[in-house]
Amino acid sequence: MVTVSTLLGVAVDGLAFGVFLALLGVGITLVFGLGEVLNLAIGAFAVLTVLVATVVVNAGQGLVVAAVVALVAVTAFGLVVDRTLLSLVYRSEGEERILLGIFTTLGLTVLLDGVLINFFPSRYTLPLDVGTVSLGGAVLTGSSLAVITIGVVVLGALFAFLRGTFLGKATRTVFQDERGARLVGVNPRKIRTLIFVLSAAVAGLGGLVFAVGSAVSVASGFQFTTFALIISIVGGVRSLVGAITAGVLLGLVNQFANFFVGSYIATIILFTAAIVVLLVRPEAIS
Amino acid sequence: MSDRPSFGVEARNVLLVAAVFALAPLPVLGSSYYESVLAHLVLIALLAVALNIVFGHTDQLFLFVGGLAGLGAYATGLTADALGVSAWLTLLPAAVLCGLVGLAVSWVAAKRNFTVVLISILTLNLQLVFTEVFVGARDITRGSTGFPYEYFSLEVVASAVGVGEKLVLYYLVVLLLVLTLFLYLRLVHSKYGVAFDAIREDEIAAESIGIDVVRYKTIAGFIGAFLIGLIGAFFARESAYILPGSFTFLAVDVIVLIVLVVGGLRTTLGPVVGATIVVAIEEFLSSAQNLQSWRTAIFGALLIVLFLYFRRGVVRSARETLVDFGLMDEGREGGGGGPTTDGGR
Repeated sequence: MVTVSTLLGVAVDGLAFGVFLALLGVGITLVFGLGEVLNLAIGAFAVLTVLVATVVVNAGQGLVVAAVVALVAVTAFGLVVDRTLLSLVYRSEGEERILLGIFTTLGLTVLLDGVLINFFPSRYTLPLDVGTVSLGGAVLTGSSLAVITIGVVVLGALFAFLRGTFLGKATRTVFQDERGARLVGVNPRKIRTLIFVLSAAVAGLGGLVFAVGSAVSVASGFQFTTFALIISIVGGVRSLVGAITAGVLLGLVNQFANFFVGSYIATIILFTAAIVVLLVRPEAIS
Repeated sequence: MSDRPSFGVEARNVLLVAAVFALAPLPVLGSSYYESVLAHLVLIALLAVALNIVFGHTDQLFLFVGGLAGLGAYATGLTADALGVSAWLTLLPAAVLCGLVGLAVSWVAAKRNFTVVLISILTLNLQLVFTEVFVGARDITRGSTGFPYEYFSLEVVASAVGVGEKLVLYYLVVLLLVLTLFLYLRLVHSKYGVAFDAIREDEIAAESIGIDVVRYKTIAGFIGAFLIGLIGAFFARESAYILPGSFTFLAVDVIVLIVLVVGGLRTTLGPVVGATIVVAIEEFLSSAQNLQSWRTAIFGALLIVLFLYFRRGVVRSARETLVDFGLMDEGREGGGGGPTTDGGR
């Protein structure tokens, strides 16, 4: 017999996983919505962040310092990728750009995997020692609660940025009408750079929140990317709210499926959900 | 629109390739290592020809080549086992099954006007489902450790001719390559080729002059997937082992894509030339001790550079160079064409 308190525990873990998925989904959605580039390297960005944080932790620093250093590092890396690879991709237009985006980021993923595996051959977890929290008889994972809090704060800040600041508004202008944005003096290329770097940081944070609960290996990168794709499919590839909703929803679905029928079926449910959504309403993402 | 040489020229080229491959094992006769490398090369080329039909000619980016090949291999082996019959009998049904998967995907995608991104995401997801099932359905597939398997007994032929089984298998896949290339030639030099070109050029315009876009895309999807499934069975036979790890996205799709782009999308010999180059690089990297651990990284870098700067492919570039130097007459249908500016989209 499954008790309510157990279910509550599963739900909290599911929400934490949902935050991770939402962050990845947001990372993909931002860049695709703005530049029509489907960043298939997003999972590798997340893994890279975890690895940098691991190095810093092993050097004797605290987790917060490690997280900050890692996020700065992945942001810088995002900037380099944007200035080099994406600049070349943005030279072409329309469908050609989309394909080029897919292939160059795919190449980047393989490249990063190939480089990183030489230095980080095993699996890594970040030590967030917060124990468990008892809440009316339910035992909740402390790290999950921390992750949910971080997720709410960060996603809230992201929305505040997009809705409230001039830069955010300019970004949304480019989202909606690139030519119009150009006419009122917004430089779409600069905005794209900003958003790509932001998406790298968001994905990096996603990696960090995942790594406090589970082990991450270099090979996780591609899996993360597919999670991100699923979220963006289910949520609609251009909608941030959709990405967050889909992330939280699928996080819960995955965790409950995991609990009741096992992880192998849970993963298949996740992929099937994406395929079904894709078949039922493809217009949401094209 | 089309810059391809005439059917006659292309058929002659294919026969030339056939001759080269027929002679290739002779200098290394008896080295089963090289026979394996050669067979691997031919199989990769075959997969690239299949992907060329769907992706090159109808812009349907199938990112589940590995999954389909795996489905073909598992279905061939497992049903042969379950029914207690020779795998020669289950090979075709398994390939048809794969073809039907491709047909379904193409049909849905064409009906619903999927963009190339949607098709790629859809097929990538299917790929992951396949991989997940290969690994997860342990009772049937024996999970991630796979199982050794040598279906298709070739002993009879091998002992009759007096050569090793590996060599027989090699000539078998070369035969498959030649047949597939001729099928490809027949296809693109028929009304199908014309329709494919028209659809790629402008789908709406093609529709308006009476080309049934859904039908042609579906046919391309079926043929491509059927071939991939068929080749998958030989792929596993060649390594004598069915393993989910050898049918993943990173193990198959990435390589086949590089091969196709290096060689040249929409060219007949592109997949063969591309496979030769890529397998040569692969062999070089795995033989050089200090480079081995960097293999994946080098492939990733290669993929990026190729797509950014080299989307036209070796075959097309070589052909133009030869024509420029007057070493080859253009041999084009109706002298049409002109340089392809779209490279490979």
